[in-house]
Amino acid sequence: MKSHRKERLSIIVFITTGLSLAIGLTLFALSQNIDLFYTPTQVAQGEVETGQRIRIGGMVKDGSLRSANDSLRVQFATTDYINDVTIHYEGLLPDLFREGQGIVVEGAIDELGVFQASRVLAKHDENYMSQEVKAALDAAGVSAENHLLSSQPET
Amino acid sequence: MFDLIQFSSVGEFLNMGGYAFNVWLVYALFAMFFSVNLTYPLIRKRQIVLEQKRRLILNKEIVSQNEDNNEVDNLTFRVGEGT
Amino acid sequence: MWLWFSKLGSPKWFYELSGKWLPWLIGPMALLLIVGIIWALLFVPPDYQQGNTIRIMYIHVPFASISLAFFPLMALAGTITLVWRMKLADIVAKTAAPLGAWFTALALASGSIWGSDIWGTWWIWDGRLTSMLLQFFLLIGVISLRSALEDAEAAAKACAVLSIVGCINVIVIKYSVDWWNTLHQPSSPFSLSNEAPNPPEVWIPLVIMIFAVYLFFAVSLILSMRNEILVRERRSEWVQQLVQAT
Repeated sequence: MKSHRKERLSIIVFITTGLSLAIGLTLFALSQNIDLFYTPTQVAQGEVETGQRIRIGGMVKDGSLRSANDSLRVQFATTDYINDVTIHYEGLLPDLFREGQGIVVEGAIDELGVFQASRVLAKHDENYMSQEVKAALDAAGVSAENHLLSSQPET
Repeated sequence: MFDLIQFSSVGEFLNMGGYAFNVWLVYALFAMFFSVNLTYPLIRKRQIVLEQKRRLILNKEIVSQNEDNNEVDNLTFRVGEGT
Repeated sequence: MWLWFSKLGSPKWFYELSGKWLPWLIGPMALLLIVGIIWALLFVPPDYQQGNTIRIMYIHVPFASISLAFFPLMALAGTITLVWRMKLADIVAKTAAPLGAWFTALALASGSIWGSDIWGTWWIWDGRLTSMLLQFFLLIGVISLRSALEDAEAAAKACAVLSIVGCINVIVIKYSVDWWNTLHQPSSPFSLSNEAPNPPEVWIPLVIMIFAVYLFFAVSLILSMRNEILVRERRSEWVQQLVQAT
């Protein structure tokens, strides 16, 4: 085999292995944790060990938000309207954060069963509309997802 | 129609309700990508044409230098004759 | 039919015809872009939650949606190359790959910037973002595979195979938000009513921008295809005449 052919061949082998490695690793990473977060119900069912770093996704429970006067410490409950998880967090909250909002928190559960979050992310739903449309919907009582969910019985 | 504009002043428009940096960054990225993507092929075309022209002239010189050379292929010969 | 097919595959024929098409694509593209951008920036009402960042959607969504078209397009062109050896199909496959990488990069960048405001993070390894990043790397892979292979025919074949494989990832990108829970929101259903989520005042300018970006893609692809044709056909008589005429 001529040397430049050999060189080409090795480049191709290199690229192909590199690509398959990238695809393989990505698929592996995804299969390990293809879902971004656990639901509060999964946590309540004991799927998560104490101290394990995880993410939990749910709604900020209405009326659960308490914030400290002298610091950025907050406490709230995240819920899937079946189970709740209490979250402690210190830091800046995303702009969209408020009660009834879908969120994802990152952190671990401590010995007291409280979730110590190191990061809070807001999850936006697929409904876009103006303030006026939102107000009209609320007035009519036929609201977007958030409203429907929060009108479900809470446990 | 103008009463449907969502901003009451230019300053408010530029400020984008506090999200100025990110909103304008996305539109600036788009504008940059858009203009580069349309002008680059045109510049590249000029390059290709210039390069080809140079090659044709070079071929013509080779043809005139080697009038009796049989190895000059048909193509360059035809180009040499055409001008 | 067959005659038309083989004629369409002729680079010279395409070069001449696309020269006539271009103004008819650039005109509507410019018009739609101007209308779309002015509408998106000035007339779309701020979202009840995310305020003016909703205006980022009018760039992000069109680019993300066209990004999903590249692998199917390259796979189709690749299949035609493998089966019928049509010259033009490989020109499409070759020029689409770098364009696809740019479009995908812009979709990722605009999404990141949007996310940094709304989610509170510019990146997270969720199903949608990860599979989209994988598409970007796959496109880089296709580009480097072609430049590494000197034999043009072997390069065309290898890229065709990789493009067909890459289509699997497009399905993953599309349904990632439905299959798994992600931070990225699912796609929005359009509503015809003015008193429901996603009313026409939100999606009409989006549709305009989507068409504008699709036309922009078509124009960009045709422009780089024409250059590729000039390079590949440089020894042909018609290109030499064209070069001398300019």
